[in-house]
Amino acid sequence: MRLRAQVKKEVVKVPLSVDERWDLIENISKQTVEFGAYKHTLKDAIAELTVKPLTGIPVAIAVIYGFWSFFCDFAGTLFTDGFMVKIFDEHWLPWLQSVFPGGLRNSFYALMVDAGHLEEGILVASDNCFEAFGVLTSGLFIVFGVVLWAILAFYLIFAILEDIGYLPRLAVLVDTVLHKIGLHGYAIVPTFLSLGCNVPGVTATRPLETRKQRFMMMTLLAIFVPCGAQIGIMQDLVPELMGWIFLTLAIGYLGFGFILNKIVPGKSPELIMDVPPYQMPTLRNIGRKLWIRTSGFLLVAVPFVLLGCLIVGLMYLTGAMDWLAAVFGPLLMVWFGVPSETVAPLIAGFLRKDLAVGVLGGLMAQGIMTTFQVFTSVILLCIYFPCLATFALMIKEENWKELLGSLASLVAMVFVYGGLIHLVGIILGVA
Amino acid sequence: MNEGEEKFGSIYFAVLGAVALAFGVAELIASAGEGFTWGILDSSGASDPLFLPWKAIILISVGFFYLSSVKDFGEVHQLAKAVMASIMIWIVAGMAIWSRIAGSIPGEETWFNSLEGFLASYAPPYCPEMFLLPFSLVIVYYVLKEGETGK
Amino acid sequence: MKILLMGHPNVGKSVFFNRLTGAKVFESNYPGTTVDFMKGWMRLEGEDVELIDVPGAFSLEPKDRAEEVAVKMLAENRDSVVVCVLDASKVERGLYLALEIIERGYPVVVALNMWDIAEDKNIRIDVEKLERILGVPVVPTTAISGEGFKELVSKIKEAAPVKIEGVIESASAVSAAASAGKEGGGESAAVS
Repeated sequence: MRLRAQVKKEVVKVPLSVDERWDLIENISKQTVEFGAYKHTLKDAIAELTVKPLTGIPVAIAVIYGFWSFFCDFAGTLFTDGFMVKIFDEHWLPWLQSVFPGGLRNSFYALMVDAGHLEEGILVASDNCFEAFGVLTSGLFIVFGVVLWAILAFYLIFAILEDIGYLPRLAVLVDTVLHKIGLHGYAIVPTFLSLGCNVPGVTATRPLETRKQRFMMMTLLAIFVPCGAQIGIMQDLVPELMGWIFLTLAIGYLGFGFILNKIVPGKSPELIMDVPPYQMPTLRNIGRKLWIRTSGFLLVAVPFVLLGCLIVGLMYLTGAMDWLAAVFGPLLMVWFGVPSETVAPLIAGFLRKDLAVGVLGGLMAQGIMTTFQVFTSVILLCIYFPCLATFALMIKEENWKELLGSLASLVAMVFVYGGLIHLVGIILGVA
Repeated sequence: MNEGEEKFGSIYFAVLGAVALAFGVAELIASAGEGFTWGILDSSGASDPLFLPWKAIILISVGFFYLSSVKDFGEVHQLAKAVMASIMIWIVAGMAIWSRIAGSIPGEETWFNSLEGFLASYAPPYCPEMFLLPFSLVIVYYVLKEGETGK
Repeated sequence: MKILLMGHPNVGKSVFFNRLTGAKVFESNYPGTTVDFMKGWMRLEGEDVELIDVPGAFSLEPKDRAEEVAVKMLAENRDSVVVCVLDASKVERGLYLALEIIERGYPVVVALNMWDIAEDKNIRIDVEKLERILGVPVVPTTAISGEGFKELVSKIKEAAPVKIEGVIESASAVSAAASAGKEGGGESAAVS
């Protein structure tokens, strides 16, 4: 009752009496409020359906289903398998093998065209571009045969969803779920972008308000979100494992996000997004976005993939790869349950993830890995280190303390999560 | 729209919704195995078996959207549910067709497919959403009608 | 500077609050009472600003514990901007509270929340005119879908105290102009 007394004591001088106030309100509302004047349009009603969870979630499932199946058929069935594999394996590779100076045992030939592989102790020429591992064969095949189409398909759909106005609504829909891990609905924008390429994904964390949010977002992107290049080439190599791969990464993303949110100090205020009405996308706008993003991707990817190819080739030739395999092999075998040869893709992965999966493809073709080992290796490739371009951007975007934090969480994450997957494999009896 | 049109829409989409729901449930049951084939109706289609349960969930939702729209069909929010259901069918059916187009252009050994091979890619059996597609287009008429009266 | 979120109970204030503050919020108990309120931070032009979800109140003449706390919190935070959340389909009732706060000299931003539901009920509100009469920013919002929030946040800095006499004057001026000219309102309407 003390409270009431205090309130009473504070005599607040207000100019209007209750009646005067109601008169004023009546005057105002008479002029500004009209009943029966407005009618919801179909567009309003549809917009409402897409953000309410009960109807919005099925719609989101349909949209993502469309996204993914378009991606698979456009990049996989039509371009890569339909044309590119033929061009590269049946024409480009044999042609280079016949005209390039040197031969199987020549080092320069091995670096540029075909390193060959051992079959019952005899060095034989490769018959596809995954195995050949030359800069001009595997390098070009990965970029122009597989990855370019995946990126194109991805950014096309992304631009359409963005321009229609669906993306901010999807953000609103997942807002509540993401709050549980200290992120916001907006997080789906950098996450989706990263599914194309982590570089623009990391750039898209800039609108996030605090350093904590940016740090969390960048770390999660770098670890758990595979880029379109990687997805494209995984889809080409291990289509039957894709569901499990995405599930494992999604669990890691949410679980690790939850932990990071608890241990990283700082606030995470809401990022308020503009939610524009639905509209027809214009062809010009979509074309422009597609061009900017795809050309941006090529500028980053082409030099890195070719350089990476060269470095991995050199390491094989000089014996450095065998040495690394011998050193790290036991660790890989015991902790993660993958063969020591996996060192090679892991090295390649420092430069490019798509190249790394390509190298892994070469190992798979030799038949030295079980399905579960392939699965574990693919996950390891995703989470163990961001590609060089992403890492360079993170150096620029984070201060050294945050960068160290990112790296520390990365190392911890790889060992914990990689070990956990191995453990689950052992328990299930598939490892 | 007038009363007759509203009544027709309400009955029509009730039936379509029930069919979509039935297809969805059948696909969901079938997704545990290899999918089902029934005359020219084939749930497995050419697409990935991984997609099947998701497609089933979408078709079931489509069924519920249509069915919940039939009461007071002319009202804009009710109509919106039917429109949304149709858009969802267009997405899944569109992707099924796109999948066939993508598969039909390149040939097995040659660069491009032969004409026979190209045409054979479009032969039955068809997946359920492709059957629903033409029937779902009726909604376009109602959307145009709504656009007229809305102004 | 603090931001106080005030409004009637059941105007979607808690969803509104979550839209503005996001994940990390604290629930506190007002000292000496059983009334709980929420506190969080939002980002305003690069600054952290505290946002307080004041317990729902119908007016500033307290009739229950929650309203007492609301009045007290308002009095304690003289330097704050008040975001007054109104149910857009019941503007009259909400305006009562908004006017009371304006009369006390606080800078106010009026949010016409549940705008979608008002549209459903075929209610149309002339936002520009309302803004002109009140002399404070008025923004239609839909907390569920997030519509209008970007605009709302951008208007918080514009909020400034207005004199109630000015509101009365412009209300009658606009109304006079409306009855005089066919088009009504227009550019000539007085703004306090």
